[in-house]
Formats: sequence, structure tokens, C-alpha cells
Amino acid sequence: MSGSAVSETHDLHAMDPARFREQVHSFEFWFGAVQGYLEGLEYGHRPDTSEAELSEGDRDRLITALCNYCVGETAALEGAGGLIQIAPNRAAKIFLSTQVVDEGRHLEVLVHRLGELGVADAEAEIQRRAGAPLLEFKRRLLELVRGGDWDAAIFAQNVILEAMEFSVFNAHAETADARTREVLQGIVRDERRHLGFGENELGRRVRSHPGVRQRLVGIRRELDAMVLRTFEDSMAKLGATPARRADLARSYRLAVERLGFA
Amino acid sequence: MRADDAAPDVESPAAEAPRQRFELDDRGFREVPRKYRKFYRKWEGKDDVLGPNEVLCPVCKVVVRSPRELRPGDRVYCMACMTRLRLAQLDGERMEGQVEY
Repeated sequence: MSGSAVSETHDLHAMDPARFREQVHSFEFWFGAVQGYLEGLEYGHRPDTSEAELSEGDRDRLITALCNYCVGETAALEGAGGLIQIAPNRAAKIFLSTQVVDEGRHLEVLVHRLGELGVADAEAEIQRRAGAPLLEFKRRLLELVRGGDWDAAIFAQNVILEAMEFSVFNAHAETADARTREVLQGIVRDERRHLGFGENELGRRVRSHPGVRQRLVGIRRELDAMVLRTFEDSMAKLGATPARRADLARSYRLAVERLGFA
Repeated sequence: MRADDAAPDVESPAAEAPRQRFELDDRGFREVPRKYRKFYRKWEGKDDVLGPNEVLCPVCKVVVRSPRELRPGDRVYCMACMTRLRLAQLDGERMEGQVEY
């Protein structure tokens, strides 16, 4: 073991900031992280976690929620894949490639969960149940990615979309059946990296390019109504109370405030 | 490790009062590579009392732990969300981690 490794193991917080950033953006870090919580799972849940007995109404609401999560994860998968091409540095490209793998896994486990709930044609079911606000957000996100606008696209993808998913999945996991809960908890653990990457990347961009902030304040104004409609729609589908719904948009608002886009 | 079950090991830097030292143990946080797990634990919600060597990450709500007592101005890293935090005194004894981009 090298001297530097010994020192990091003793006090991680003494690590040089550039080395920290390099390390957490790497596949090496990603392997060690996901191994800790995905090892032994099959399609995102433990193989021996039994299927809960759901009423027809609960099962239907769950299928609608999962179909919409699939739309969000498809947007994230396509968005993260496109962002690799326009990422401004190698470390960001490598991190985004780990995110693509995460998003592909999320989509796979959610589609598999739909199958466990008896959905025979997931594609058709997703199309039938997808909410309009989320589809609109997906369209706009991919437009920003295709337009090559790194700052706006990373804001929409890794701050807005990831904050939405983090909040909604966390809230849903609190009340979900055991299998769905395990699937969602695994996804939330990945989302921590994604939303942290987005906020930190943008924070650094704003610091070194002051004009970026003003432009993103404008993008935020444009997307805000869409984001909140999407939050509302997702939580209504889960039957959350209005107070709970308002609370869920909090992590997005706090991230926006920290970045100075409020 | 919480304040009440920590075994302080006092060091004496010249410029400031001695800080408590903490032997970190694995608290079951599995979202970072094994060798770094002892530096983190799950946050148990509003009633969770943080130790003098702990701070809550405002981005992802994970408790970040240090082998030494934390003070305003210290830097810590949240590996779970890749964030660098700088500690600031809020009011009285409360400390907050502020994101440093």
C-alpha cells in the first residue's frame, strides 16, 4: 500500500481536492461503491424477498408510477449518453459513462418489476400511462443535449431530473411493498452520485464563468413550471398529500439556491 | 462514532485548543468503496444527534465522519455525492457543512 493510500485510509478528508475529484469520477470508485449495495441482488432486490399481496387499486397505482419512472430513467439514459459527447473534460466523460450504466440498470430493473407485477408488454404500458408533464420535460431535456448546451443540459439532467428522482423514489420507498422498496433504494443510492456530480460540476462552471449563472437563471425560469408540474403529477399518482408533495420539491429548490439560481 | 461512545485521544496543535480524536468504526454505510465506509453513516432523521466529529451533507443527507473533532473552517468530503464541504458555525454550537465548489 502506498504512503498516500495509508494516509487517506487514516483521514480521507486530508486528501487533495484534485485527487478527490479524480477518484470519485472514476470507474474504480464506481465499482467499489456499487459492489457494496448491489452484490447479491437480482434485478434490484434480494432473490428471497417475497411478493406482497396488493389490492387491484394499489397494483394499478404502482404500475402507473413505475411506468412513469421508466420514462424518467429513459430520459436520463439518453441524456447521460448524449452528454458524454459534449462534456468539457475527461473526468466528466468517464463519470458520465458510469452514469449511463446506472441509468440502463435502473430502466432494466423497473421494467423487470413491471413484469413481476404481471405487465406483459411493458413498452405499450409505459406509452399508455406516461404523464404529459414528464414527457414534455424529457423532450426539452433531450433538445438541450442535442443542442450541445453543456451548462443547460447538465442542469436539466443532473440537477433537476436527478433531484426529482431522488426525492420521489425516496418518498415512495417509505411506503412501498418490500420488493419495490429494495429496487427503489438501490436506485436512490446511485442518484446520490448523479445529483452531486451535477451540482458540483455546475458550481465550478459558475465560479470560473460568471456569465453562466445568469443564463441558467433564465433556463431555470423556463423549466421551473414544468418541473413542479412533473413533481405534482408523480406524487398525485402515488396518492401523496399536498403537504408531502410540497416537501418533495425541497431538495430541488435547495440545490438551486446553493447554486445561486434562485 | 458518536461523542458519547468515543475514546478521545487529545492532540495539541500549537495554534488552537486540543481536538478530540476518534477511532472510526464501520457503521454499515455501503455506498462508497470498503476502505472509505467508516467515514460515513446513514442519517437517522431530525432526532439524530451528531457527534463533534460529524456533519450532515446538505446535498445528499449522509452523515460525514472525521477521525478528529470538527471545527469551523475545516474541510470534509462527502464521497456519496462527491461534494467538498467547508464547516461553518451557524448559531451557538451548531455547525453546518457548506458546499465548496
